Amino acid sequence: MKHSLTARRNAAMEAMAGYAFILPQVLGFILIVLVPLINVFVFSLHNRNMLFGTNIFIGLDNYARLLTDGLFVQSLKNTLVFSLLLVPINVIAALLMALYLGEAGFGSRYIRAIIFLPVVTSGVAWAIVWKYLLQGGTAGPVNWFLAQLGIAGPNWLNEKGWAMLSVVFNRVLKNLGTNVLIFYGAVMNMPGEVVEAARIDGAHGFSMFRWIKAPLLMPTILMVTIVTVIGSMRVFDTIKLMTDGGPEGSTMVMVYYVYHKAFRTFETGYAAAIATVLFAIVLTLTIAQWVLRKRVTHYEQ
Amino acid sequence: MKKTMAILLVLALMLPFAGALAAEQAVPMTIATWTSNENQLALLQSFVDGFAAHKGIKIDAKFESIPFAEYNTKLLLELQSSNPPDLYWVLETSAPAFIASGNLAKLDEALKEWEPEDFAPASLALWQKDGSTYAVPFSTSPFVLLYNVTMFKDAGVKTPKELIAENNWTWESFREIAKEIKEKTGKWAFQTVDGEGYTARVLHNLLPIIRAMGGNLWTADGQVSADSDVSVAAIKLFHDMVYADQSVVPPGDQSDFYTGGAAMTVGQISRVSKLADVTWEWDMATLPGNAPVIGQAALGANANGKNVELATQLLAYMTNKDSVAAMAGIWPPARKSVLESEAFLSSNPAITPEQMKDAVAASIETGQVLPSHEMYPQIEVESRILYDKLWNAGADVAAVMQEVAALYRNYIK
Repeated sequence: MKHSLTARRNAAMEAMAGYAFILPQVLGFILIVLVPLINVFVFSLHNRNMLFGTNIFIGLDNYARLLTDGLFVQSLKNTLVFSLLLVPINVIAALLMALYLGEAGFGSRYIRAIIFLPVVTSGVAWAIVWKYLLQGGTAGPVNWFLAQLGIAGPNWLNEKGWAMLSVVFNRVLKNLGTNVLIFYGAVMNMPGEVVEAARIDGAHGFSMFRWIKAPLLMPTILMVTIVTVIGSMRVFDTIKLMTDGGPEGSTMVMVYYVYHKAFRTFETGYAAAIATVLFAIVLTLTIAQWVLRKRVTHYEQ
Repeated sequence: MKKTMAILLVLALMLPFAGALAAEQAVPMTIATWTSNENQLALLQSFVDGFAAHKGIKIDAKFESIPFAEYNTKLLLELQSSNPPDLYWVLETSAPAFIASGNLAKLDEALKEWEPEDFAPASLALWQKDGSTYAVPFSTSPFVLLYNVTMFKDAGVKTPKELIAENNWTWESFREIAKEIKEKTGKWAFQTVDGEGYTARVLHNLLPIIRAMGGNLWTADGQVSADSDVSVAAIKLFHDMVYADQSVVPPGDQSDFYTGGAAMTVGQISRVSKLADVTWEWDMATLPGNAPVIGQAALGANANGKNVELATQLLAYMTNKDSVAAMAGIWPPARKSVLESEAFLSSNPAITPEQMKDAVAASIETGQVLPSHEMYPQIEVESRILYDKLWNAGADVAAVMQEVAALYRNYIK
């Protein structure tokens, strides 16, 4: 009896110590993440203007206004186009690269370093250099190179369509390294005996990938996809520096529109409503992918 | 021991207050700016000292330098805090919104002491509403034409200065010389303002042409004329220079005047510092038609500050004739008496008195600020999408400008 009481007290003490250890992290989360997040939602229900100091509760009026705001609808479309282009290209390219690196012995270390280099480069410097490279006419090095091949390159950042593709390509190149590294880790951790057994059974090339490697990598693929989707929804610096939302608003994405509303026209409440919609979209996509993950993943530890 | 330590600690904590007491009720004044340049801040500090001596009081001035890119955002947060700045710089594009918001104190009473009638009336227009002045421009900087004399000589083309002497300095003759330079040298003849004339500075680029031909985009009384025949003709002229003559650095090309990539550009006198080390000869002139855009920055007083009256008096002192004369080399003045003074003409070592008189002062006299509106940031974002449609060879200028005008009319009434 006495013994179990001590044990219980010890357990309680241990639990207390545990909570004490996570307390800083939890406090940080509450103060820096949760409170602002809730605040954004509260703001979105107000007519809040930083310049005029107004702060009036207006219910869902901001959300109703979104439906009639052509620029918001356009930014929503642009964001979806951006993500739909970027995520598949990024994930597939990263996966192929990782599979190649997993096989290749010689030089893979150097290739990894080269692919990872853009990730550690400053995003601002990266965008400015690419803006220079992608000049129109024959002024830019990229178009100069194409001209040597007899191709007249477009005005990359100043033509509708090309501008979006340029920005997407740019982001893929910039962030590919992170995903390659994650996939590479997963590829190297694939149980060798399973792959070996499949090889003995005659699997190779595509069938090896389709039936053996892809299922083994599926949890990682889904995780990487989720992170890439979230990242693509949050693109800002590349847009601001390379196209400034143009031409004709074709690269005006939601985050950039939030920035305009919050910090250019000071409509904090309305900007918060757009941010809430963006949050809802990302949350929905993440949950959907999480559910999907249980369906398509054949093993879980 | 513990007790001694505690007493020492308390004394140490009280030290700052003791210091404040010794300073004999120095009035704190916080001034928010977007410059962090030490010489400029020292100059502003000297005005504060001058004012304190003038009033026979002590002022403890504190300067808050907010980076330009986030100036408005941080300033507004500070204005809502418990310890807001007493004086602050105001951006030109924010003028109508700031005045409407009630954040700026009326200055009429304080300005009376220092000859407000000396300010060129056009220079104050942006900062006034219903007959009251809410901020005073400390910088009135016109956009002038900078050109590469060496390139003109190589091409054997008449320079802007020669055309001015012939009384033939119009956008039509500008187009002619630009075309000649391109044909004779194969180099770009003109680069728009900082290369941003198709994007962020599209109005800075087009308005001097439109105004020189007698048009406008919109006026303070709510008249939108962006789609008028003159305005469209002016934009067509520029459009033809870019796409028919191909004499202007086109969108998406980063060829730069300051590195010898174009024969002419438009810029403020602050850009002259970029020309300090060039190997070629350069000069400046008024823009063709002499209807330049002027960029302004003003000083305003916080209407909800702790010491509004004193703040407005300090503001008036900081923009009096002596202060404006002292600033003239850095920030071109809006006071007529200073504009005409010898001191101003020789205030910038990189610019000759002749250039200062013929190009800068002449431009300040005829220049105007960009048209403004409370909702300007929103108008800017939305209209940029429409202006972008201008920048291809087959663009229908009149149709695009009709769309722009329709958008303007949604906001400007």
